[in-house]
Amino acid sequence: MELLVDIFGYLSIILHGLTIVAQSMTLGGILFLVFLARPFAHMLEQGADLERRITRLTIYSAIGLVIAELAGVGLQVAVVMSTVDLGFFDVMQAPFAMAGTVKILCAILLIPCLSARIASRPLSAVLLLLLGAAELTAATFTTHAYARLSDNVLLLLVEGLHQFGAAIWVGAIPCFVLALGRLHDANGWRLVGARFSRMSMIGVTSIVISGAVMSLYYIGSMQGFYGTAYGVMVGAKIAMFLALLALGAGNLMVTERLRKNQDTSVIRLRRFAEVEIGIGFTIFFAAASLTSVPPAVDLTTDRVTLHEIAVRNAPAWPRLTSPDHDQLAISEMQSQLDKEAQQRGQVAAQANVPGSGILPPRNADDIAWSEYNHHWAGIFVLLIGFLALLNRAGVGWLKHWPLLFLLMAGFLLVRSDPEVWPMGSEGFWIAWRDVEVAQHRFFVALIILFGVFEWAVRTGHLRSPKAALVFPLLVSVGGAMLLTHSHQISNVKDQMLIELTHTPLALAGVAAGWARWLELRLPGRGGRIAGWVWPMCFMLVGVILLWYREA
Amino acid sequence: MSLRRHFGTFLVAAACTVASMSASAHAILVDSTPKPNGTLAAGHADMAFKYNSKIDQHRSRITLVKADNSETVLTIATNSSKPNELDTSADLAPGTYTIRWQALALDGHITRGDVPFTVVAKP
Repeated sequence: MELLVDIFGYLSIILHGLTIVAQSMTLGGILFLVFLARPFAHMLEQGADLERRITRLTIYSAIGLVIAELAGVGLQVAVVMSTVDLGFFDVMQAPFAMAGTVKILCAILLIPCLSARIASRPLSAVLLLLLGAAELTAATFTTHAYARLSDNVLLLLVEGLHQFGAAIWVGAIPCFVLALGRLHDANGWRLVGARFSRMSMIGVTSIVISGAVMSLYYIGSMQGFYGTAYGVMVGAKIAMFLALLALGAGNLMVTERLRKNQDTSVIRLRRFAEVEIGIGFTIFFAAASLTSVPPAVDLTTDRVTLHEIAVRNAPAWPRLTSPDHDQLAISEMQSQLDKEAQQRGQVAAQANVPGSGILPPRNADDIAWSEYNHHWAGIFVLLIGFLALLNRAGVGWLKHWPLLFLLMAGFLLVRSDPEVWPMGSEGFWIAWRDVEVAQHRFFVALIILFGVFEWAVRTGHLRSPKAALVFPLLVSVGGAMLLTHSHQISNVKDQMLIELTHTPLALAGVAAGWARWLELRLPGRGGRIAGWVWPMCFMLVGVILLWYREA
Repeated sequence: MSLRRHFGTFLVAAACTVASMSASAHAILVDSTPKPNGTLAAGHADMAFKYNSKIDQHRSRITLVKADNSETVLTIATNSSKPNELDTSADLAPGTYTIRWQALALDGHITRGDVPFTVVAKP
């Protein structure tokens, strides 16, 4: 268990992200039901059917919340029990476990309260809102605010407002997409669109106000914003939030047009809302990973300066030759240990124990090795984007461009972690305990998956429209992965400078994925524009990778 | 698209977005006695580890690792007036040691780290 603490920490963040998604969808569903679906049920042609479907979606979300929270709290409890040698009931009295239990109970109680029998009673809406508020309150006790040394009450209120804003806006969008799909008349679209726009505005206002206060308390200064991992992650969240606002503004324009002209198509509204769900969920996972980094105000040393950023990003020619594997720090350390053990007639110790929590050594050749990997990956991605662009322009035989992804995946699998099989002495399975190795393997699996799917779709081996959506979905997931990809490097500044490069990569990846989604889903000019945008995003990723430096 | 299919899509999107996580530290050590790579005098030594967050002292752990890699779990003194500290003590002979700490922040995040230090004979 001791060796698995890091990987469990990583898993707990994944589960936390899933919990935020489920929580927001549950609360968003309640708010959509209470303030939109139920009041408008008698005015909409398909009102009763819509209410039933939104109720079912909310129940599914509540079940998802129970499962995610149970798994998350269960994992944390198991880790504390085994590493601190405490009993189950003792650990269950920890604040995080008690808050988790309240969240689970609220989500369980919501399920019968959403049933048709209780929904018909006059106070059912109040009951739903009260349970939702109790769940939200418990959730705020697992945020940074609760563990802060001062201003806890204010920060807890602000964290609660932030989560409320996310729920009413992003969490309710799935209900909105569902409603747009079920309604078939302009009157219904207009009613739902106008009310949801107002609800979204309340959500956006809550997010902006709470976000500003949190930035003040958790970031504190400009250098905290650009010079720490926390600040940069908040920056990425803001960039995605602005993208959501732009999509929301586009939807507002359609709603306004609907008011004047009943024949306006709502297809753009639906497609933009789908993209909003994707970007919104990416923000939730970025928020989950934010809880795992210290607030910028606390990181008073090891901050990166603007000068250091400029020096690191000064133009340099890509590194196209690799150092030898034997020159890497772990290889050198291992050969030294082997030599000493041989002299003593003993079995040599392992230079690096995956999951031990001890950061592996690095030398100049390790840096050169990593830069070489990034630069070749850049060449692959730049080429892929360029070929996709040519294919889009009409060069038909270039439809095989996704095969390049397989070549790239093979390259990354062999080179990303030189201490691990097939190049290093660490076994394939044992290396899963190392968080960085696990993340690299996720990348490789994703690249293979979306490369294969896209090739099969383009060559006609897969004809289902759903199969075509796998590529954009997984590309955006890859972007989201990059957003929080961490390097196991002991130098905080170096780690931060690397993250600064990965953030634009991640945002370009997320943009590429959702632009391709729009190309497939949005008919007309919008889809055609998106079709040119995503290969260019790929090319941008390639250029940034070629620019990448670690020293 | 049916509700079930919609929900399936959302679940896939949620499950796929999974990998966007990092496992960096949350509660960070802001001060300690001994300091990282610092020295202490041999004998009974009080040690204190101060964090940026409130810590669940009862559910955290401090282990003393000796040069021969043998480990001793040290008792943490519960002190509500110092909610962001882990305080402990040990009898130390001259040599090199590492304190391996694991802190449970009140918001539920577990972090851990090492503080290597040297114990020198009393002058």
